[in-house]
Amino acid sequence: MLHSGDGILFTIGLVDLFPKHYAYSCDHKAQFWSCHSKLQCARSCEACQCVVRHIVPGLFCGVATVNASFWQLDHAANFCSSIVVLCSLKQLLCLFPEQPLFLLKLPVGFSLYPEQFFWQFCLKSFLVKLTLVCDWREPEDLAALLDLELRENGESQHQLLKRVQDVAKYSVKTNHPRFFNQLFAGVDYHALAGRFLTEALNTSQYTYEVAPVFVLMEEEVLSKLRSLVGWTHGDGIFCPGGTVSNMYAMNLARFRAFPEVKVKGQWALPRLAVFASQEVCHYSVMKAAAFQGIGTENVFKVNVDDRGCMNPEDLCEKIELAKSQGAVPFFVHATSGTTVKGAFDPLESIADICERLGLWMHVDAAWGGSVLLSNEHRHLMKGVERADSVTWNPHKMMLTGLQCSAILLKDTTDLLKHCHCADATYLFQQDKFYDKSLDTGDKSIQCGRKVDCLKLWLMWKAVGSKGLEGRVDRAFAHVRYLVEEMKRREGFQLIWEPEFVNVCFWFIPPSLRGDENSPDYQDRLSKVAPTIKERMMKQGTMMVGYQPHGGRVNFFRMIVISPQVSHEDMTFFLDEIERLGKDL
Amino acid sequence: QDMLIFDHNTAVLGTSWFTGHISVVLFSGVDFLMEFKPKGKRPPVLVDGVTLNGPTLDIREAESFLRDAMPIIMEEAVRKATDVKEKVCEWRSPEQLKEVLDLELRDGGEANPKILQRCRDAIRYSVKTGHPRFFNQLYAGLDPYSLVGRFITEALNPSLYTYEVAPVFILTEEAVLKKMIEIIGWTEGGDGLFSPGGSVSNMYAVNVARYQRCPNVKELGLSAMPRLVMFTSEECHYSVAKAAAFLGIGTKNVYVIRSDKRGKMIPAEFEKQVQRAKDEGALPFMVNATAGTTILGAFDPLEEIADICERHSLWMHVDACWGGAALMSNQHRHLLKGIHRADSVAWNPHKMLLAGLQCCAFMVRGQTDILQRCHSANASYLFQQDKFYDISYDTGDKSIQCSRKPDAFKFWLMWKALGTKGLEERVDRALAMARYLAEEIKKREGFRLVMEPEYANVCFWYIPPSLRSTPEGPEFWKRVHVAPVVKERMMKKGSMLVGYQPHGDKVNFFRQIIISPQVSREDMDFLLDEINTLGKDL
Repeated sequence: MLHSGDGILFTIGLVDLFPKHYAYSCDHKAQFWSCHSKLQCARSCEACQCVVRHIVPGLFCGVATVNASFWQLDHAANFCSSIVVLCSLKQLLCLFPEQPLFLLKLPVGFSLYPEQFFWQFCLKSFLVKLTLVCDWREPEDLAALLDLELRENGESQHQLLKRVQDVAKYSVKTNHPRFFNQLFAGVDYHALAGRFLTEALNTSQYTYEVAPVFVLMEEEVLSKLRSLVGWTHGDGIFCPGGTVSNMYAMNLARFRAFPEVKVKGQWALPRLAVFASQEVCHYSVMKAAAFQGIGTENVFKVNVDDRGCMNPEDLCEKIELAKSQGAVPFFVHATSGTTVKGAFDPLESIADICERLGLWMHVDAAWGGSVLLSNEHRHLMKGVERADSVTWNPHKMMLTGLQCSAILLKDTTDLLKHCHCADATYLFQQDKFYDKSLDTGDKSIQCGRKVDCLKLWLMWKAVGSKGLEGRVDRAFAHVRYLVEEMKRREGFQLIWEPEFVNVCFWFIPPSLRGDENSPDYQDRLSKVAPTIKERMMKQGTMMVGYQPHGGRVNFFRMIVISPQVSHEDMTFFLDEIERLGKDL
Repeated sequence: QDMLIFDHNTAVLGTSWFTGHISVVLFSGVDFLMEFKPKGKRPPVLVDGVTLNGPTLDIREAESFLRDAMPIIMEEAVRKATDVKEKVCEWRSPEQLKEVLDLELRDGGEANPKILQRCRDAIRYSVKTGHPRFFNQLYAGLDPYSLVGRFITEALNPSLYTYEVAPVFILTEEAVLKKMIEIIGWTEGGDGLFSPGGSVSNMYAVNVARYQRCPNVKELGLSAMPRLVMFTSEECHYSVAKAAAFLGIGTKNVYVIRSDKRGKMIPAEFEKQVQRAKDEGALPFMVNATAGTTILGAFDPLEEIADICERHSLWMHVDACWGGAALMSNQHRHLLKGIHRADSVAWNPHKMLLAGLQCCAFMVRGQTDILQRCHSANASYLFQQDKFYDISYDTGDKSIQCSRKPDAFKFWLMWKALGTKGLEERVDRALAMARYLAEEIKKREGFRLVMEPEYANVCFWYIPPSLRSTPEGPEFWKRVHVAPVVKERMMKKGSMLVGYQPHGDKVNFFRQIIISPQVSREDMDFLLDEINTLGKDL
């Protein structure tokens, strides 16, 4: 039995969640773990070279130690079930580093009433947050810890399971409610089940023959996404990422304008011109232009207003400029939800221009597309139905998990097929016994293609359009709340009012407040975000991104998406930034 | 001290719902950890009509759903799907299947039991690619280690752009690439990344080769360059044509080199084509050699091709997506002799090595940062220059993608489990099995090999009894066209899946692919018996 003592004990009552769990302690002063059976425990013990002494069956599992350091505790966590790993003392200490050691004495035979009650909902709403978002290790250290080398002989199952634990331990928990670092976060469990299923089935989506369910499902999901864009007909395909989706759009636009490009190449064409706002010009548009042989210099950067939205008048001017240089405009890349600011380009005005000049209008809504799910917010993308193509990544705000990116097309002339087909006889036999228009693989630039639709479909079935709408609305509400809180607090300086769920701000540490006019202010401010980021990563309490952008020195970009997030997380976020940055 | 404050909104143990808030107080040296302090009602935080108190996702319910889903996945999509006694597929016409699946997405959600039923349906009507009698594609079988690896990456949902977000997966990718590069035999080292499919790997090759020849193509585009020409054999994978079209080179600027009877590129023809391009004033820049062609499983003569490339300063890319696995085997790696002279290699462990879709490596030779230079766009929001760790680990900008799946990890885990030796044995066994099948085909009446297999592709015709006495002539070959009917029957029966195609001047023949370690000699015999059963009345 556990003894009440002068050590440290942190327990989690998990009576009905893990009724078969046992907590074990052993002589070795730092080891204490839980597992499903004695057998498993014996194995664990072998691993730590010590003897099982104390067994506390049934009631709870946890981490305990007698006179152990927290680092040992951390080590003990390796042997624990996931729940125990979730809340080792080290993690508690990361949250409250100023607290002295917590000492706790529990009576022998300690019953979980009424604490059981307490822990029940702890688990639901709180415990997960005690997990570290990341367990930072330097690359060299991590490489050594993971023992990456691949050898002649295989390893035992036990060793492999240990590896699995290590991988989970040292990976960044992108599903964590306090992971605000990227344009994706959170987890939807229905989608996750769909992903497990996809992996188990290992289907490649080329033909109806090999992927009957998923060919039909992809069609259905695409048609649903198209209907939200406002198209009753059209085409589309799932791609490995938004960048590739954007590449599809550019290639299709080029092919529509100059069908001979497929056979003869760019040399049969005049110099082409692409237009995108300077906000997004740095990334996928550039990659696409380079990859497709159009050239990054032929991407014309259109000015934006203060909010980061494309200026339609400047678009006209840039089109004229391109023409005057002898280039032929063919493609306008509008963005709904820019990466940093979350800005929405004015689609109606852009559509007017594209219609007038016969240009392909592409809307990169990889990030912003989810607003189409919300009646309240879909006005942000007003005019999207006039576009020729739309990129939409449900793996971002819709939480399907990577990768899930669709390119949607208004086209009904089978452009996608004509543009990309290679008619491989070994896959797309013409003498099949079913309607071979279902062999959609030749529309793709890939051959083997992962099934990306199942997770989205399953989630949608489970949550419904209404549920998805609720998530979008809630994310917006969170942002409103966060912004109001920020305005109330000293030291947080919003860079612009968010239009979407990107909140960009500087944290001004106390030492810099009121120093705005000093010559080295910008320089000093630019160092704040990287330092706070370093600290938060090393402590693992949360993750949020920063960047310099358009002449502004490093600022934070907070992204709020996950339905696991509550307003407490917003408060925590601000408190934590203050805590990490107050001495800078 | 009031340290942790949280709301809860669910009652447990059958008590009523209540809203309160609780402080956890941690004391020093006292007898209890927690102080349970309901403080009465707390006003909800309402913004735009949305309540922000607490998370909306019920973790416990979500977990319980997953716990219910996993046994279904394990039983139906793993155990039964790999059981030789079960069907490979459950054929339904598209119209029937649409009705069964009820695909429409609606406003309201559905309860978990319904969703679980949907999982079962999706499994039931899906083709079981892990089944021992799935011979239809260049991948098959199921490796448990890789599957666990895939479950892990799906659960963790990382994206491979930076060390910051994917520390473990950046390092495992690096470790796998390092080993693969070693196996290719690039003593000078190399660089690489995993891409979403072999076709995309080949696109990378074209882009990198082009960039190496004309570095300013990235900025100026192809319009400002002389006409570029690339070469490939007529037996190559169709992705080369797709790459040429997608990258703006044009399919006409892919000069196709004739292959010999066994499907191998003829080096003399290659040299002729290079000369032709030069005579036309075009700029030849790369060749795509294939190690393991899609249909015949042929290997181009890499040494000779490398000689020609050296003579003409061409980039030599080897598409070893399918054949790369032979490198794992000491007995068979001679098939790729000369691969160490290639400038780039595409190799898909998701094919013969069973890593599961998608797992495709693209590698370039030498200590080079060409991938970075060729593809980088330096997004400041991802690749900040003032990070606190060595930013050379932020490898995402080498890619044409932004988000990228951690495809190397599953392969790493599987490799750790099996060791290089285990992988080698698998390859050896698959090729021995192919040999066996070829011998059986020669022995049996009514089967005819298209050619002796060199790899795991066994191509053959089935000659139904009605034709066996017909003399071989145009009439005979016209009537040998039975594969589509046999295929239809096998799919409807669900007994196995094997591919067929016409190829060049040859009429429809079967292409049997042998990969999976679940496959046994009996399955080979079954294949031939079954084709005979299905086609004997034709």
